[in-house]
Amino acid sequence: MELLDRYLEAVRKHLPWERQDDIIAELRANLEAQLDEKAAGLGRPLTTAEMEDWLKTLGQPIQVAAGYQPQRYLIGPAFFPIYWYVLKLSLGWAAVIYSIVMVVTLFAQGTPSATEWVGAIARMPWTLMMTAAWVTGIFVALEYAVMRKGFEIKGFAAASQCWSPGILPPIASRGQGGKKPRSFAQAVAEVVFGILFLGWLLLVPAHPYLIMGPGAYLLRQSPFTISPALMQFFWCIVALNIFQLGWKIVDLARGAWRIRSRAQHIVLSVAGLIPVGVFLAVPGHLWVLLKHPELDQAKYGATLDAINGGIYKSLLLIIAIVVVQLVWEILRTIRDAYRKRATAMA
Amino acid sequence: MTISESLFESLRMELRRGSLTLAVLAQLRQERYGYTLRKALAERGMEIEESTLYPLLRRLEAQGLLASEWREEEKRNKRFYRLNEDGERMLGQLLDEWQALNAAITASLGVDGPMASAGKGDANG
Repeated sequence: MELLDRYLEAVRKHLPWERQDDIIAELRANLEAQLDEKAAGLGRPLTTAEMEDWLKTLGQPIQVAAGYQPQRYLIGPAFFPIYWYVLKLSLGWAAVIYSIVMVVTLFAQGTPSATEWVGAIARMPWTLMMTAAWVTGIFVALEYAVMRKGFEIKGFAAASQCWSPGILPPIASRGQGGKKPRSFAQAVAEVVFGILFLGWLLLVPAHPYLIMGPGAYLLRQSPFTISPALMQFFWCIVALNIFQLGWKIVDLARGAWRIRSRAQHIVLSVAGLIPVGVFLAVPGHLWVLLKHPELDQAKYGATLDAINGGIYKSLLLIIAIVVVQLVWEILRTIRDAYRKRATAMA
Repeated sequence: MTISESLFESLRMELRRGSLTLAVLAQLRQERYGYTLRKALAERGMEIEESTLYPLLRRLEAQGLLASEWREEEKRNKRFYRLNEDGERMLGQLLDEWQALNAAITASLGVDGPMASAGKGDANG
């Protein structure tokens, strides 16, 4: 019995204080009746080991007591779906805004070092945790005020009542080639990585090894150098990336991230031709030069011609592929528009 | 426990959870205290843990479906529960619902229905 007393005392500690005596008295009566029956069946009192085994089957005191507590949760079913949606949205936007602010801040202070980049990235989880904590805190307060204290929020009930299936957005059709629509997380990740890529790209002129690897060292040791005219091409690439990134951010803000339209593809393909054109416009098609032409022309002149010639041919091939893709895309757009019109008229 | 066994256990618990209240209300048409109620349910094939049953009795009483009374029996003070008028009415409504559900499930498991043959297949192992 002493073990049962200890067990009940342990249960009592976790019970609502105003009902402790009542619940323990009832529990004791039920358990003692059960114990008496067990003892009568055995023809002797239970041993300590048997008592322990039996009490173990009843469950841990804290779990037994939990059954008498009202159901507890921080955010209940009425608010949870909205909370979850807002949390995901807030985290996505917090990641985007943090990335933009970090890139701008770092570049405003001069060319950032690798340590500064790592520091900025390492601080992102803390920002996201703070965002999640604020959103959760607000919803916990809402749950407490509205569901437990009966506080009425003007417009909340009305907004839930005036919902209509008619206001639901149209089904996002599958993308080109039957591609699955992009998820919100994917779209946010594209923006975040786009920002990081832009940061990396902006570091390339000062740290060419970022793009060329050990080739940067070899180039420095070689008699060749890259034409300064290529900086125009570099800034075109940067501008194109900013343009794409801006478009993605606008799509995110408009809630139109699921499918990239064919028109968007065409515009981006045409925009992609601009840096290629700038690259091609380098005077004399001399992308690679000799550091000391007066000394090395005789020795490396033929190699230089071969390098620039190779680049030129490759470039023509790239342009041909891009143009064919673009024409194909435009023709498909025209065909789809024609089919759509024919279907509408039928 | 395999994944399929654990899934079965979870679905079984879900299925039992609703019917438990019905079984308790049905048994409390006659006055009982916690332990005898548990025994009566077990004898009818409805095993139920103490940690589930005793708090459930308190909840049903708080919901106004049961009346309770402390009384001495066999030299021990025990709390006896019994359906009150609202409880009787609620039991009637729940039984109607239960029978309608049972009829719907039985109809869904029609002799030639695919579910019936699936069920037979499972039953035969």
